Amino acid sequence: MRMFASTETIGLTSEEVLRYSRHLIMPEVSQEGQQRLKAARVLCIGAGGLGSPLALYLAAAGIGTLGVVDFDVVDYTNLQRQIIHTTPDVGRSKVGSAAEKIAAINPFVKVRPFDTKLTSANALEIFRDFDIIADGTDNFATRYLVNDACVLSGKLNVYASVFRFEGQASVFAAKSGPCYRCLYPEPPPPGMVPSCAEGGVLGVLPGLLGMMQATEVIKLVLGLGDPLIGRLLLVDALAMRFRELKIRKDPECPVCGVNPTLKELIDYDQFCAVRGETPANSAVLPEMQPEELNRRLDAGEDIFVLDVREPHEYQICSLGGHLIPLGDLPQRVHELNSYREREIVVHCKSGARSAKAVEVLQQAGFRSVLNLAGGIMGWADKIDRTMPRY
Amino acid sequence: MVRLELPAHLRSLARISGEVKLDVRGEVTQRSVLNALEADYPMLRGTIRDQVTQKRRPFVRFFACEQDLSHESPDAPLPHEVATAVEPLLVVGAIAGG
Repeated sequence: MRMFASTETIGLTSEEVLRYSRHLIMPEVSQEGQQRLKAARVLCIGAGGLGSPLALYLAAAGIGTLGVVDFDVVDYTNLQRQIIHTTPDVGRSKVGSAAEKIAAINPFVKVRPFDTKLTSANALEIFRDFDIIADGTDNFATRYLVNDACVLSGKLNVYASVFRFEGQASVFAAKSGPCYRCLYPEPPPPGMVPSCAEGGVLGVLPGLLGMMQATEVIKLVLGLGDPLIGRLLLVDALAMRFRELKIRKDPECPVCGVNPTLKELIDYDQFCAVRGETPANSAVLPEMQPEELNRRLDAGEDIFVLDVREPHEYQICSLGGHLIPLGDLPQRVHELNSYREREIVVHCKSGARSAKAVEVLQQAGFRSVLNLAGGIMGWADKIDRTMPRY
Repeated sequence: MVRLELPAHLRSLARISGEVKLDVRGEVTQRSVLNALEADYPMLRGTIRDQVTQKRRPFVRFFACEQDLSHESPDAPLPHEVATAVEPLLVVGAIAGG
């Protein structure tokens, strides 16, 4: 099946012939296929867990023009999985670090770094110079933005995502198959599906999925094999099981359906907050800043601190609060009955789970419940710089 | 008995590891399976289907035997392989990590 098989070719130098010899001796690739790879222009959205192996393998394979979009800087917590970055890169821009590694692996690759946040204002312009987009971002708003920009500009979207021990991969080609919105028309409410920062991810898992993306990109460029169009691949690293599910184009899809209503890019932060059905009271969810909690605890005020993280997180660092993991809270809310008249401050790692816990307690009749703004990581930032971060 | 696989974040919420095994009364349909699930794990109410409308939430899908059953009627019988626990019913949810 040939979805994207570039007919454009660029000649190979003798040095490139040597470099790509293991490709060239395969008749399925040969000199013609390698020249197609050299002519291809692929954009990696994100230089993180997925983007690292993706960019490294695409560079090694000889993709001629490799764009990388990321606005972030390398952080210590990235190094467990984002293998394009090294310890001395901490604090550097991710695209700068990635561009350097790509050039070191393959100086024949033309790297186009975009040290910027992908937005509705710049996405179509950035996409214009590329043939294939590989989505390795880490949030729902950017995933819907990438999808819509791909559909509107007619680009292939090579998709993967990861969480904890599981991943998903597909190729969205709206001309012939479903798009991301056909699969998931709306995002989950903010906080319902934790991010990798909140829920964790096995370091090798984005490696596995990122390499699947690289494989699909190369197949698409070469016009080889069966791309993952119309198929969702589920990867369970713990069971080491791969499931393939058929997914269909939604005729009522607002962006790629029969009568599309979405004809230009929208505000995706708002879409993910509004269509994600933020609880009506979230805007007024009572919060306490870490500075206030610190001051009032130091003053000996009678504040009950509830920690709704998991026990293994409590072992890393804690404020000494009463531990009831969020999942247990509905069954264990009676443990807090004697604190009904006290002010309760709830915290988790960064504030999302504790926001849900505040709602649970409010629904259970607790009147004075506040969410610790920024969670215990906010405390580590603002109050106790010696506290271990995770 | 019906086998059900949940997304990782819902397994965490319900403190489940691995598949869920449910005793489903009557005909095995999406509705009867979810009723049994929510009876055993009340904390999952509202996460897979809307508590008021009882409709599947748009960021989860149902699959079995490699097929997408998301747009089937909630009262349509699930495949024989699911009803006889040969195959699990998969609840697949959107994830965004990268």
